[in-house]
Amino acid sequence: MVGWSGRRKNLTILAFVVPTLLAIAVFSVYPFIFNTFISLTNRSKFRPNPDCSVTIWRIVEPTCWLSTEQRGLAEPFTFSDPLLKNYGDLLGGLFTADALLALLRIGLIVAPLIVALVLNNRWGKRLSRPVSSGIVWLGGLVVTILLALPWLLDLPGAYQTLLESGDFIMVNVRTILYVVICMPLFFIFGLTMALILNNDYIKGRTFFRVILIVPWAASTVAIMMSLIWQFFFRGNGTINQFLAVLGIEGPTYLTKDVWAFFVVVLVNLWYTYPFFMVIILGGLQSIPPDLYEAAEVDGASWWQQLMNITLPLLRPAVLPAIVLSTLTTYKVDAVVWGITQGGPVKGADIPGFTEFVMVHAYKQIFQTRAYGRMGAFAVILFVVLFIATLYSLRITRITEGAYE
Amino acid sequence: MNQPPKPWTKILMYVVLVLMTIFALYPVWFAVLAAGRPGQRLYTFDLMGMIVPTQWTWDNLRALLTETAFLTWIKNSLFVATATALAALFIGTSAAFAFSRFKFYGRQGGLILFLAIQAFPGILSLVPIAQILSAVGLYANHWGLIMAYLAGTLVFVIWNLKGYFDTIPIDLEEAAMIDGCDPIQSFVRVALPLARPALAVTLLFGFMAGWGEFFLANILIPAPDAKKTVMVGMYQMANEVNIPWGRFASGAVLVLIPIILIFLWLQRYLESGLTVGGVKG
Repeated sequence: MVGWSGRRKNLTILAFVVPTLLAIAVFSVYPFIFNTFISLTNRSKFRPNPDCSVTIWRIVEPTCWLSTEQRGLAEPFTFSDPLLKNYGDLLGGLFTADALLALLRIGLIVAPLIVALVLNNRWGKRLSRPVSSGIVWLGGLVVTILLALPWLLDLPGAYQTLLESGDFIMVNVRTILYVVICMPLFFIFGLTMALILNNDYIKGRTFFRVILIVPWAASTVAIMMSLIWQFFFRGNGTINQFLAVLGIEGPTYLTKDVWAFFVVVLVNLWYTYPFFMVIILGGLQSIPPDLYEAAEVDGASWWQQLMNITLPLLRPAVLPAIVLSTLTTYKVDAVVWGITQGGPVKGADIPGFTEFVMVHAYKQIFQTRAYGRMGAFAVILFVVLFIATLYSLRITRITEGAYE
Repeated sequence: MNQPPKPWTKILMYVVLVLMTIFALYPVWFAVLAAGRPGQRLYTFDLMGMIVPTQWTWDNLRALLTETAFLTWIKNSLFVATATALAALFIGTSAAFAFSRFKFYGRQGGLILFLAIQAFPGILSLVPIAQILSAVGLYANHWGLIMAYLAGTLVFVIWNLKGYFDTIPIDLEEAAMIDGCDPIQSFVRVALPLARPALAVTLLFGFMAGWGEFFLANILIPAPDAKKTVMVGMYQMANEVNIPWGRFASGAVLVLIPIILIFLWLQRYLESGLTVGGVKG
């Protein structure tokens, strides 16, 4: 910019950004600092109040700002002993020999798939490849499945061990399982619909494109729409009524672990595939048609064109969407809350099969009221999400403008 | 890949399209059917009644509007979501402009901080936010809820508008400054009018984020009924002992239709990547 510099420039910039920084300091940065301090205490429903005579709580605790009087009859909370006790409670189970071994086994089980990916990338750069990419993938998959069997590396056993190493780890393992199941489905549904809608010989494409994003619109009121979905899967809900007409008695989906899990997957698929469809469609339209013409001349089949032209060229458009969607799927809340509330219920304070990370946090804060532990939870989650965000920035380079 | 498909491939494509259309629309259509069905139940033993409206009554809608606080909830939600979006736009636009145009210390760090804030779920900040709001007397108050929404919406607004300002050529502002504008004037008189469409779209998306939010609203405005937002009210209605499904469905339809219309209207912006800041639920 021309014509202005020095003190005046700084003042102008300050005037532009100060209101924003203020709002973010109060409602984003301060809560984080607060959580960090609370995570070091034994605050819970039995010790909900601060001791306002301690300087640090005079500063950090809003309830101490106006008066230092002791509130309530319960004893005030204090720093835990040892200081990082809450972190130990959450993560401790992970650092036992059994749990670490289970993690290692899971790592070894997925290793063949990673090897297949690397091999395909390497061979993809050559003019002629020893075996086709499909066979490499198939090989990797077969070895993975073999390794996962109980008498080799025992994936179910490893999973069970992790489930038993504490609620926090159990909830995280299930959430990651949920993400791992959801993401390929989102992508495959989005890709299929985008490929169909991108075909010039299909009539009424505009109409279908408009209709098919209705679920995305409904996802902005996810909590309400999920309540309607929940009704479909009740014991005497819509699905079972259709089944009854065919003479089949359906299960009560929402009280069975695996059923409830897949209902939540299905509903989230409903909300999310239009997002992928729109992104992939945009990517498809930016692929130059001559590439396909050239491939056609060379005699490439539909599948070869998909694998060697479409998917690689979609990468830049789709990868940011996948990263963003992975994070939002990990943080899924309203969808689950509307359908299962984290159930099926196992008993007080035992996380149900669909109690994913955010639902667990919500329940722990507002039902169990384990404030201290959830402070630690928030700090750990922030670190994880911060790293994930930095990583996604590296991939998507949406900050290109900021780095110049 | 745009060869004419073989006939059976084409048929298969149409079959998939039709099935997916049913999948996409049936839940919404189901709510419409239930809204017009006599009695307070979503289901019927009449199979046709689950596909087309065999009976129709306006009783549910009438009961919803007269016997529940639905209209008040709508009014509250309209107020909260509009005020949030407007405030975020008012505060955030200038920051977005600064982040797009000026070079200053901490710019890159700030942008990354904003993204990290957006990645961090609001539920985990709820306890401190609730405590601040009750300390300043804004707990169970719409203004408190608006302030709690503000930070998240701001980040979205800034990323969105920064992206848009980046696409406006800087030459126009430079020309204005040679003619004697200072940076503030070049912002208000040149950049803002150019960004008008982006401002409108950002406002709408910011509005919808506040409109559909549930968890913060549920905690920060626990009572009375007359202060609740529509999402909280509807959730509560679906958790009553004898769930008034007919009313619930009428309410759901009333909430859904405008949102679907807005989305269809904004379709081309969804595709143009304006959603980088991430409005996806």
